Amino acid sequence: MYGDLGLKLVQHAKRTQSLSQLPPYQSDIVRSVTREVRDLDRDVTEMLEPFNGHFDPAEEPATACSLLVRHLCMRRDKRCLLAYHRVRVEMIEGMCWSGSDLLDQVQASQNKVAEEGARIGSAEGSGASSLSPEEEEYARQYEDLLAAYKGQWTDIDLTGSLEPPRDLFIDVRVLKDAGEIQTEYGAITLTKNSQFFVRQGDVERLIAQGFLQKLN
Amino acid sequence: MSYYDIDAILTDAQKVPCTFEITIPGLGYLEGNSNTDIKQGTRVELPLWLAEMLGVSQRLGTEQNVVTLDLPPALAPRVQNALKANPCTVDLRSLASHYYSLGERILGLLEEDELVDILSETFKKRAAEIADHAHNPQGVISSGGEFLKGLDENERQLFKISHESAKAIRAFLSDRSNTKK
Repeated sequence: MYGDLGLKLVQHAKRTQSLSQLPPYQSDIVRSVTREVRDLDRDVTEMLEPFNGHFDPAEEPATACSLLVRHLCMRRDKRCLLAYHRVRVEMIEGMCWSGSDLLDQVQASQNKVAEEGARIGSAEGSGASSLSPEEEEYARQYEDLLAAYKGQWTDIDLTGSLEPPRDLFIDVRVLKDAGEIQTEYGAITLTKNSQFFVRQGDVERLIAQGFLQKLN
Repeated sequence: MSYYDIDAILTDAQKVPCTFEITIPGLGYLEGNSNTDIKQGTRVELPLWLAEMLGVSQRLGTEQNVVTLDLPPALAPRVQNALKANPCTVDLRSLASHYYSLGERILGLLEEDELVDILSETFKKRAAEIADHAHNPQGVISSGGEFLKGLDENERQLFKISHESAKAIRAFLSDRSNTKK
């Protein structure tokens, strides 16, 4: 029945709300729902054609009702589509604010898939990204917007943690090679599996990005 | 209720039994067989978003009603009696995932004065039970599992909130006594 596919999308969205990571974009269902809307619209146009624009609902209650049902189906589909995308967009924005590198992850997974694809010799490269191309573009532009907004106040990190630090200095372990960073006390080279006692403010971003792990 | 609210959309997807009052051409797909007409007197289960709009035409005083709405099975007299007897033993989730929202929408369409009292009384009684389970989590494993499985979506949110607020209060109090030392 019409509207069932839209319901499936909304159920996906409901599940997405309770997940910490963004599940893959359901491009197949989205495409089917938009096709359904287009089919319904064509039906409506065909039904109205013989009336030449002089349709009186009171004279033809049956046709009017049939039109109403189709119209409601279209409206429902639209609502499902919009709600699905809104849930995802809100999650993308949240990720931008929390500083988890959305696009890096996407690119990393794409590169990996591209490598594998090259090895196997198939052309399907972009299947593993959980964002649709449009969503990637949105995330990129939102990131730019956020950076421009933050640029107005250089002395406050708007996306920084809201929890006050307990200690000025913390122990961290390096999970991934991150190169050299400059601190007040000189440069530190962050090589994998090494451990440092550093000022929290210097490495907060790297912890958020997953390069470092905080030790108690 | 927001346009984008996922729970509102899922509420709208719940089915209501309807009877068609006029014959409509080309609507057979509502019944499951395409390319046929839907006959006068056919009974079908329609989702709320469709049934509501078709049903309200009877309210506007038009000569012909399109469909007549009936009480969904989840709100039938049998269930009402069970709720009257003991609200805490009924598995609302298996009846409808958004039980109270469904009841609320149906009451906007049908006159069921008694149902209002039953639903609000049920919610009050169950809310106390939910709060008890949320604050004493040991009981959940031993006896309350069955009850918690039968919570509808609103009640689940309520359970989560009261559970988390109790946890937050405990964390706040222990935090304060730590810093005082």
